[in-house]
Formats: sequence, C-alpha cells, structure tokens
Amino acid sequence: MRFLMLIFKNILRRKTRSAFTVLGISIGIATIIALGALMNGMTASMEDILKSGEADFSIAQSGIADLSFSRIEENITGEIQNLNGVKKVAGVLIGIYPIGSNPYVMIWGVKSEDLQMLGVNVLNGSAFASEHELILGEAISKDLGKTVGNKLVLREEEFNITGIYQTGAIYQDRGLAMSLDKLQELEKKEGYVTVIYVELEEGTSLETVCGQIEEGFPDLVTIKSASELGKVDQGLEIMDAVSLAVSILAIFIGGIGVTNTMMMSIFERTREIGVLRAVGWKKRRVMTMILRESILLCVFSVLIGSLLGVIGVRLLMLEPTIRGILEPLFTIETFARAFAVAFAVGLVGGLYPAYRASKLSPSVALRYE
Amino acid sequence: MQRLIIETRDLVKTFEGGLVRALNGVSLEVLEGQFVAIMGPSGCGKSTLLYILGGLDEPTSGEVTVDGIDLCSARNLDAFRVRKVGFVFQMHNLIPVLTACENVQIPMMELKLSNTERSEKAANLLTMVGLKERLDFVPTKLSGGERQRVAIARALANDPKILLADEPTGNLDSASGQEIIQTFRKLNKEGRTIVLVTHDKNMAEQAGIIYHMKDGKIQGEI
Repeated sequence: MRFLMLIFKNILRRKTRSAFTVLGISIGIATIIALGALMNGMTASMEDILKSGEADFSIAQSGIADLSFSRIEENITGEIQNLNGVKKVAGVLIGIYPIGSNPYVMIWGVKSEDLQMLGVNVLNGSAFASEHELILGEAISKDLGKTVGNKLVLREEEFNITGIYQTGAIYQDRGLAMSLDKLQELEKKEGYVTVIYVELEEGTSLETVCGQIEEGFPDLVTIKSASELGKVDQGLEIMDAVSLAVSILAIFIGGIGVTNTMMMSIFERTREIGVLRAVGWKKRRVMTMILRESILLCVFSVLIGSLLGVIGVRLLMLEPTIRGILEPLFTIETFARAFAVAFAVGLVGGLYPAYRASKLSPSVALRYE
Repeated sequence: MQRLIIETRDLVKTFEGGLVRALNGVSLEVLEGQFVAIMGPSGCGKSTLLYILGGLDEPTSGEVTVDGIDLCSARNLDAFRVRKVGFVFQMHNLIPVLTACENVQIPMMELKLSNTERSEKAANLLTMVGLKERLDFVPTKLSGGERQRVAIARALANDPKILLADEPTGNLDSASGQEIIQTFRKLNKEGRTIVLVTHDKNMAEQAGIIYHMKDGKIQGEI
C-alpha cells in the first residue's frame, strides 16, 4: 500500500462530510473560473475594439471610466495624420443601441474608406454609400434574421442593409456600421469621435509616436496593448479586483471549512493517531498525512469547481442579452489561478489540524475515549 | 547466559502535577527471550509501565533501559519504537478502511521498503498468525480474535525483539483469547521477549514469569 492510497482512503471514510467540504470549496473555485473567463472575454473584446484591423494603436479621451464616455474632437484626426511616421488615421464614433433582444448593440460610425483599415471584411453585398445605409455584422445578421436588401429601423429612421461583414471580434460582429456623419447626427455628437485608430509607417517607433501624442494632447491617452486597457475602462480593473477579492474570500471561507473538517477527523481518529505514533510514525509523517488529506480534498474541489465554472458560464451564455456582449475566454492562467487558490486553501486549512495531530502525545492519544 | 533486555530502576510516574502517582518506584528486570506477565487490578499502573517501556511515555523519575537504550535520555523515541518494540493493545486499533494486509504495512512505512516488499512481508506475517485467507478483509469482516491476530502481525511488522501487550485478550471470548495466547507462546519460543499486562490470571499463567503489581509497585513474583 502506498502512502497516497492511505490518504485517499482516509478522505473517503466520511463520504458525506468530505463531499460537502468539496462542494463548498468547489463553489468558490467555480466562481473564480467563471469570473476569470468572463473577464478574459471582456478584456479580449476590449482589445479587439481598441486594436481593430491594421491599426497599431488607438487614442481615447484620458481620465474616463468607460470607453463609451470618450469624446474627441474629430479635427484632431487631421493633426495626428500629420505626425511623422503616421500612415493612416481613422476616427470612429461608437454608439450603443438596443436592437432585437440585445440591449447593447454596438454601432460604429465610420467613413466607408476606413473600413478596410479597421479590419471590416464585407462578405456579402457592399459597404454603405449614403447616410441611410448600413452594414450588419455577421452574428447580428443571423440573430435578427436580416440580410442584404432588408431594412432596419433605428431611432425611428429606416436604413437599408447593403452588406454583411465579419471582423472576427465579438463586439463588432454583433454590431453594425454606418456612416460617421449619420451616427454623429443620431447621437447628437457632431464633430466628435470616440476613438481614433492609428496605423504607422513600417519601421516607425510606436513608443515615440505615442509619446508625441500624449505630450501634444494632454486630454488624450494612447492604448498600445491589453495591459493599458485600464486607462479607458475602469470596469475591467474593478472586475479584476472583484476576482481577487473572491479568490481571497474563497481561501478564507474554504480554509475554515477545511480546518473544521480536518479537526473533526482528527478528533475522531485520536486513538488511531496514537497507534500510528506507537508503531513508530514520526510526527512529521502524521503531519504530512493530515496536510495531504487536506490538499487532496482541495484537488478534488478544483476539478469539480472547474467543471461547475465551465458549465455555469455556458448556461449564462444561453441568455441572449449576455451572449450579445460577452464571449467567455477560458485560459490556462484562469485554471492555474483556481488551482493555486485550491492548493492554498488545502495548505492553510490543513496546517493547524496537521500541527495539532503531530503534537498529540501517543500515550494520551491511546487513552483517548 | 541470557542478557538483560529490559531494566528499570525506581520508576516513578505522576500525573496531574503529582496528585496521581501511577508508578511508585518500579524496579524490573527482564532477560532476553523471557515471557513475562504483569498482573494486577485496574488502575495499578500496569499500562503506564508498559507505555514507558515502549517509549510512549516518559517517567517522572527513575531509570529505564531497553535493549541497551536509555529511554530517559534517548533523543529519537520514534526510531526506538520502529525498530525495538511492537505493541498489541486491548482494542485492536486497526484502521477500519484498510485491509488486514494494509494494516500490517503501516509500521513499515517508516522503513525504506518498496511497495512490493511491504506487501509480501505483511502477507507472510498474516500467514504466520493463521490469516492467510484473510489478507484482503477489512476489520469489520473479521472476528474479534482475527482482528487481534492482525494487530499482532502489525506489531511484528518491523521484526522487533520485544513485544509489549496491553490486555490483548480483554475484549475477546475465551476461545479467541486462547488462540491469541498460543500465538504469543509460539512467538516467545521463536526467541522474542514478551511483556504482557493483564488482570486475567489464566492468561498470566501462560507466561514464564508472573509479577504482581499493586498501587504502582511490583509486589513480587508469583
């Protein structure tokens, strides 16, 4: 018999108690997995928005809590275009409208000549040519059951659908694009854009151009990578903080649960621990046994919790409103984080019971009734 | 000439800050290969003496030497228990979720043996105590006598020179008790030193030497 087998059998002695302990920790792990996947999805979507197509970086208003609040004067695009090393610039106004069952459809106001730079690939039909024309993302086209030649009403105005496009990014493909001027009129934001996308000449230093922009336009901020998304979306930072808080809570609550379970187990097995010490087991081996039992409980928890987390997120995605704005992204890092949390729970929760068990005097333990 | 394997001098053991005096100056000598029974009423200090001889407890004062090791100054009593002594308790104290064979392997985990070696050794020991057909039985599937024989096999796992038995037949019917005592006699004939604590006169009579204990003192040989 291997030592691990003994540990495994010890856990299975009180199946119901072990199962409830595992379930308790699993719920914490599932929450970490679900929050992590949703946050990864949101980060990826934001990154898609801010690094569309051939753009090397994007510009938004500085000091905003959410990208949708960004407001940049459109004529700044011309000034940025004139900077050394800048190949192309596109100003985009972003609006959010309720369409069909999705209350958060993203509408892009963009000049049709900028569509290619933004990675918009028209699959069917053609780009919009007038103010009352628009193109639909592939996903929203399927959701709404509308295609080229159909009409769509926005703010009581009728628009002709001239094309279906694909970008590969969830927000864009579940949204639609129309002329910049028309969206500025609908949004009452004439002369303003939300984001400016910038494509650089080959060999141009990204850092140099971004530095020039942030120096020359103190009200603007440049976003070069996902790590800088917090500059324009504090929601992601809040989600990250919430995820961390949940992890800490999971360690704390799970740890108490594990401690309780292991302490009960030790009280029940006091005489047995006395026998183990009597036959020569070292204190360290008793401690290792209890700690490993505790960690093994948490390993089971991370397996079940991960499964619950994935199932939970998939169920969440059945809701059209959520599906319209979120695409969960399960990464190795998310599962690694959950595993690290579970391991910490097992270690922290098992440490005190293991110490207590190892400190039991064999003669006292053998007399324990 | 047989050598002295257990020797105690004026052993005193008190509990609760000296209020309870379990041992009150016990001096005992056991030669290698002897089968010694210590008899006495409940609470006379028999088990306390056995625990001290087995390195499970320390005396308040006095000296105790087992197989050349001074237990009062020994730093590693775990190693002493692994190699030198085997315990058999009144309650079998087997781990309920493990099979007979697995229970016997428990003490071997402190030795550098492979899984196969442990398993083979445990099977041999169980065969020796007459449980060849019960290797994979968990304790609940064994009779009281069989469980105690598994406990004896466990005590022999690391081939100790000395067996310490604390009321090993206390929870058994007379037939099972006889089986256990015959097992002890057989082990003694093979050369093992046995110290048996009991209040059962019939069982004590199976030993070569019987000491009577009362009020924490050995009153003399019967």
